[in-house]
Amino acid sequence: MMNKTIQKILIANRGVPAVRIMHTCRDRQIPTTAVYSDPDRLAHHVFMADAAVHIGEAPPAESYLNMDKLVNAALKSGSDAIHPGWGFLAENEAFAQRVIDAGLTWIGPSPEVIRMMGDKIQAKVLAQKANVPTIPGISSVNNIEEIRKWMAEENVQFPIMIKAAAGGGGKGMVKVENQDQMATAFAQTRSEAKKSFGDETVLVEKYIERGRHIEVQIVADQHGNVVHLYERECTIQRRNQKVIEEAPSPSLDDDLRQELCFTATRLMREIGYTTAGTVEFIFDSATRKFYFLEVNTRLQVEHGITELITGLDIVGIMIDVAEGRPLPFKQTDIHPNRWALEVRLNAEDPKTFSPSFGNITRLQTPMGPNVRVASGVYEGADIPPYYDSLFMLLMTAGADRKDALRVMDRSLGRNLRVEGVKTLQPLLLSIIRHPSFIEGDFSTRFIEEHMDELISRFREKNSEDEVLKIARHVAEISALGPQKWM
Amino acid sequence: MAIPAPRPPVSAAVFARPGMSARDIVRAVRSLDGVCLTSVGMRDAGQSDFKNRHRIYDLKTLAPYYEKMGLFSAECHGGARWHVGIMNRRENPFEEIALLRELMPDVLLQTLIRETSLFGYRPYPKNVIEHVVARVDIDVWRCFSFLNDIRNMRSVAEVVMKRGRLFEPTISFTAADWATDEYYLGVVREILDLCSGTDEIVLCVKDMAGVGDIKRIYNLIDAIKQKYPELVVQYHRHITDGLALPALLSAARAGAQIFDVEEDSLIRFYGHPPILGVQAYFEESGIRVHLDRKEAVAAVQKVREWIGDYEWAESPFKGYDHTVTLHRMPGGAFPSSFEQADKGEFLHLMPAILKIMSLYNRIVKYFDVTPGSQITWVTCSGIVNRYAKERGDAGVRHVTELLTRFVEEQGQDFAAMTRPEQDELLLLFRGAPGDFKNLLLGNYGKLPVGWPAEWIYQSTFGEEWEQKIQERKDLSPLDLLKDDDLDRLRDGLHDALGRVASEEEFILFLMHPKDAVDYIVFKEKYGEAPLVLPTGVWREGLRKPGDRVDFELWGKPYSIELVSVGAEHDGIIHVVMRVNNKTRVYPVETPRAKKAEIRMAKGPSDIGAPINGNVWRIGNPERGVLRAGDIVHKGEEIVNLEAMKMENAVLAPFDAQITEVCVKLNETVQEGQLLFVIGKI
Repeated sequence: MMNKTIQKILIANRGVPAVRIMHTCRDRQIPTTAVYSDPDRLAHHVFMADAAVHIGEAPPAESYLNMDKLVNAALKSGSDAIHPGWGFLAENEAFAQRVIDAGLTWIGPSPEVIRMMGDKIQAKVLAQKANVPTIPGISSVNNIEEIRKWMAEENVQFPIMIKAAAGGGGKGMVKVENQDQMATAFAQTRSEAKKSFGDETVLVEKYIERGRHIEVQIVADQHGNVVHLYERECTIQRRNQKVIEEAPSPSLDDDLRQELCFTATRLMREIGYTTAGTVEFIFDSATRKFYFLEVNTRLQVEHGITELITGLDIVGIMIDVAEGRPLPFKQTDIHPNRWALEVRLNAEDPKTFSPSFGNITRLQTPMGPNVRVASGVYEGADIPPYYDSLFMLLMTAGADRKDALRVMDRSLGRNLRVEGVKTLQPLLLSIIRHPSFIEGDFSTRFIEEHMDELISRFREKNSEDEVLKIARHVAEISALGPQKWM
Repeated sequence: MAIPAPRPPVSAAVFARPGMSARDIVRAVRSLDGVCLTSVGMRDAGQSDFKNRHRIYDLKTLAPYYEKMGLFSAECHGGARWHVGIMNRRENPFEEIALLRELMPDVLLQTLIRETSLFGYRPYPKNVIEHVVARVDIDVWRCFSFLNDIRNMRSVAEVVMKRGRLFEPTISFTAADWATDEYYLGVVREILDLCSGTDEIVLCVKDMAGVGDIKRIYNLIDAIKQKYPELVVQYHRHITDGLALPALLSAARAGAQIFDVEEDSLIRFYGHPPILGVQAYFEESGIRVHLDRKEAVAAVQKVREWIGDYEWAESPFKGYDHTVTLHRMPGGAFPSSFEQADKGEFLHLMPAILKIMSLYNRIVKYFDVTPGSQITWVTCSGIVNRYAKERGDAGVRHVTELLTRFVEEQGQDFAAMTRPEQDELLLLFRGAPGDFKNLLLGNYGKLPVGWPAEWIYQSTFGEEWEQKIQERKDLSPLDLLKDDDLDRLRDGLHDALGRVASEEEFILFLMHPKDAVDYIVFKEKYGEAPLVLPTGVWREGLRKPGDRVDFELWGKPYSIELVSVGAEHDGIIHVVMRVNNKTRVYPVETPRAKKAEIRMAKGPSDIGAPINGNVWRIGNPERGVLRAGDIVHKGEEIVNLEAMKMENAVLAPFDAQITEVCVKLNETVQEGQLLFVIGKI
């Protein structure tokens, strides 16, 4: 394989992932091209880049999902490679193929691998072939009668999960608790699948109650080297989307950890995976068994905590691999020696998860030892209503879990300040202070099970918020004079 | 609960302090050589001359002096201060008590409470009274009844005395032919029966209008002290008639031991005698006053630092007025009635109204203090205004002459009036306010010297008058009113706030439901502004660029500096300020701001948006687009909102016909916004 040197990278994304990738590009002095939709004209990633190309109107289909426009933008801006980030077209094999066909370097796994793993049904078959344990289920479901039949035949009890075959990232998944919910859930999954992934095929699986979500980070080059960078625990979720991740997993002992990581490595080697990717498992803590969930054929949101515990730059590795270089390390060189935590700051009401878009009027980001912030915004930036609500990742590290938690408490509780939009900050702080979370005793249903308790622990008041209320009174009276009610 | 203080008092002048039993406090007063003082500087002074607008921010500056002054107590709570606090100053009485406890731990805090009406205006049921009184941390409970209906004090007395606090039952005083010493001694006897003797109470004589002449006051207090030599008597008197100081002295000579005073510099025209003047006058007259004069002088000086900020709150109608002895409107009510007359543009009718009040007082007999003074005012100003509207100045003259003839010439002998005069009197009270009717029906308790004459019932109720007399109650509201369902009320507050309320918020709500909610909402939005901002800034803001206000909040320094106030555009003014050196822009809506009206879902037939989002589908894939008139079935998806790539189906809550579709496709809606109106089928 020929080594090539990438001259300029177009990042086919926005917000946090775009900014994250640009950081590594800057480190490596590779110029970058940003793309932006109408509402993102003044977005953070646009200013981070060396060049920026407008690609259309707000709806993703007009802009960040529009392959023609993205490829043209790359060609027009003189970029010779495209990094898709996560979300949008990151796991779209057609797009990967288009990029390659246009003579550009695709910084990601091959279209074939994306296709194989993107099809959840085929992925499961491949996993079974590679001797990876999988959850009972059926694929390519066309109507709810098929689901009922399968449940009867295999004696499967509710709850079950209906998933978009092409899905990922928590989108296009609906949990079904009983017969009554089946029809609506089925229709909704198909519709969301169609909308988000352009493919309405769905599959159905048994839902593992109180499961934990553990995944293994893999990096692989084009020379057959496949190395795992250990696991991440991503169990704390809301509406099937992760909100807190950590590495290593507090659920595993060393034997289980080795088994899990080698299983993942084996699968990825079997399928001929290249670049960075993740094998996701559901871990049943009652039986201490893990089952294959899916392969994420992309850079993941939570890759940063693996970087923190290993000291590696995964985006940098992806660029290296795309340039045809071999991995510069062997499995035995990987020695994680930290504990790292990540929380996702979404612009959402922390009680209802209702999205809160608007202008970030004030932004104060945490600093101090052992803190890493990956932000997609700046003070004064807008959060438009059209895209994902994630606007910042906050990561902390420490010698052990307790240490990392302490730094996270400081960062979330005392240093971070976001005004103008609601964020998950109070909820995240409440979770990391919850005794069960501190004990490592949780499942994917932790948030729903403890929601009232978590809300009741939202911190009441701080003097910085309070002084702004006082200032509001001064502003109003200064403008309007004494009020009638006085 | 105040904990008995183990440390010695800060000042040797202190003889009564929180934590002492009621019995010990009474004993301490009895054994004083001379008399002692209650300062009303933190409550009644402001109520009488400044519409209760004195802010705790300023009043608290007096606390260090009170701490060392050797007062009997500081009246800092109750009366209308509570209600005006939440309504106009946005302060709450619980915060005030906590602050004063911290700043003057050696001073007995005193309240003024209106028996069953507590700190509000209507009789509350027994369980509300008990709930509230048990949770207010006050040492001395001055409790009065505008009817001198001692039965109504029972619940307050029981809770206060059980808590070991000092109960101060109060007789409302007025000067009238029926208000004899025998009458008052009867009231005192009822009080002593209620309180089991004289050892754990202080008796207050409340001359709220300042109408007792020098001899009358001497005789009354002398009669009480002759009969009950051990009873400690406090005299509370306003100064409007100009005779307060000699009246106080005569009360002291008759044996009263505690006197209400205020800082000399706080006095205007309707308040209380001056602290320094009273001490000087008493001592010159040979009566020792227990007071650290140096501290009192310092407090009088301190007032001058901030009293200028309240000029706006002073009554425009200044000066003593001896005719108060006729119309008997008390301090506080007097200036505010002039203010109401001014606002209502009937200031020119005030002389007639005051005259009518003085006649009315002799027809319907009770005491002109809250809520009685309000009933008198609304009733009498209503009558005069009605005549003025219907028949002009001549009408006002006519009704004044009619009542004068009835009261002064005919001695209220209804039969002695001519037939047309009788007919007119029988319509006089027809438009009287509901509270006047409640008074006649016994809903406040029994009147001090019996029910008014029957013609008044005829005049008020028309044909139903006999039936109304039948309905009239002789029992105390304590026995008449059914307990409120506190849990249900608490739920109501919870719903209004959208969160669990604190116990103190609940008590504010029990007293004044609507105003308490407004106050709580204000506090959520503006936080500690009422407590930390100096009065000038609180009321008028920062005046010009560069002006700034420095203050401390929770032990940390803060500064707000005005950079600029922009011009008004579309009802918005942008105010630029530096808050701790960081520039911030506040868009301020003026009354002309155009409010983009968003209809919110309210009733059960309104379908609201569950989240903020974008309406991407109206109807559902099976049915297609839904329109007004369409029938939908329970559980059917009627609209779908998308937010940040997640779909949210909104389902029909029951079988229904769509009355209105309130949103358009691709419209961005906010949480709670009205999407559909549907009707049951």
